[in-house]
Amino acid sequence: MLKRLYRWLDLRIGVGEIVEKELTGYLLPRNINEWYSLGSVLLLIFALQVITGMLLMIYYVPDADKAFKSVTFIMNEVPFGWLIRLCHAVGSNMMVAVLILHMLSTLLMGSYKAPRELNWVTGFTLLALVQGISLTGYLAPWSQLSFWATTVATNSASAIPVVGPYLVEFLRGGKLVGPPTLGRFFALHAAVLPVVIAAFIGAHLFLLKRTGISAPPFGREGTANPFEAQQYHYQGHPGGIPFFPNYVLQDLTSISIYFAIFLAVVFFWPGMPFTPDAFVPADPFRTPAHIKPEWYFLANYQTLKIFPSELFGLSVQAAAMTFLALLPFIDRSPERHPLKRPVFLTLVIAGVLLWIALSVWGHLS
Amino acid sequence: MENEGRRKFLGVCVAGATAAAAVAAGYPVFRYLAPRSGQGGAAKLVIPAGELKEGDAKFFEFAGSSAVLIKTKSGELVALSAVCTHLGCIVQWVKEKQQFLCPCHGGQFSTDGTVLGGPPPRPLAKIPLTVTEGNITIG
Repeated sequence: MLKRLYRWLDLRIGVGEIVEKELTGYLLPRNINEWYSLGSVLLLIFALQVITGMLLMIYYVPDADKAFKSVTFIMNEVPFGWLIRLCHAVGSNMMVAVLILHMLSTLLMGSYKAPRELNWVTGFTLLALVQGISLTGYLAPWSQLSFWATTVATNSASAIPVVGPYLVEFLRGGKLVGPPTLGRFFALHAAVLPVVIAAFIGAHLFLLKRTGISAPPFGREGTANPFEAQQYHYQGHPGGIPFFPNYVLQDLTSISIYFAIFLAVVFFWPGMPFTPDAFVPADPFRTPAHIKPEWYFLANYQTLKIFPSELFGLSVQAAAMTFLALLPFIDRSPERHPLKRPVFLTLVIAGVLLWIALSVWGHLS
Repeated sequence: MENEGRRKFLGVCVAGATAAAAVAAGYPVFRYLAPRSGQGGAAKLVIPAGELKEGDAKFFEFAGSSAVLIKTKSGELVALSAVCTHLGCIVQWVKEKQQFLCPCHGGQFSTDGTVLGGPPPRPLAKIPLTVTEGNITIG
């Protein structure tokens, strides 16, 4: 039956040619490893976030008077509403975590280097966009946690000289976080940012298809023809392994492992995305003690606290982010093996440790 | 031959696991989207008899749908579904003529729900009511 359907389609639109070009004939490096499958995992997470987000929109009301009640209704009254909401809340945390792992693997394997500078830049932009969509979604439940975390996060922009205070007011739609903030954050979260993220994912995949996939700098002998910046050429892998079925199996393995972790958190640690303040409706006249941002913003939050001037703290972060975004243009040596780049490897490890230390410090302080 | 058998067995296992996963994911989504039972409003409603004058009609929500209570000029109380049996529009009470008119396609009904004219195929459904101590209990 399936074979007949395939033949029917092939006769009309030449499916076989696409399968040959994009799946069975799409050859990957022989020494490709499991870290390359994180992109597929991220695509799946994004799709799940879109689906669960659409489902939540059926019952969620983006109105300051009704938002908290509608979320409580989803959690307590709607059949499996708790599951859909937890999948969305846990999924957003997982998306940031997997994205960080994807970027770390790219960093350590030197895959950001020429000719893949634009892949890195679009990927880095996606990290910023994912953080933005998480931040704007954080306000949606209109709880004490949402309200005050958004107050603290938007307030950081006030340290920018001259335009800072106006920028804060512009972000919030008023002097303080209030109903106008919910309106604009919801529009960003549910309409603007998903479209922008989808566009950047498209650009990221387009670049991947045009440059060809990078070969890991270790493992079995490579198959890539080296890049020379003379003229454009697709970096193919003659003699490599086919994407389908070989690497699809690796993608499915990684997706299964991801699901095991994701569902374990959803079912056995459902409190992970929440603190007690997440269960109290927002009260603009009562600031709860120890309000903290999400784990992936803790390092930024702590950096702002340790510098005597907020502007200095912001500038340090902006410099670090710009350095990372432009890394392929700064680190131009062709060597990609991490052990043959000791200074770089030390810097990466030190950077990760610093980020973890700042996050833990921010959590405990 | 043995390989073919193994391949078929594995194929069946994968298809079975995929189907099970699809059901496990699809069932919560279906339940999430399905209209909730018991959401249709009260199955009994009490209206004070004094609220209605002779010749008047009172529309209200009943068991998740629209209904109407009328007190005829002879003083008889009748409760009917207000949903036209033609295409589901809500009928209007024409006090002067003491009959219902569906504004969508001109269906007409008498005070006991009988079709007087127009396209409706069936009379309006009757809803039982009781009157005790000045209160009308519908349903």
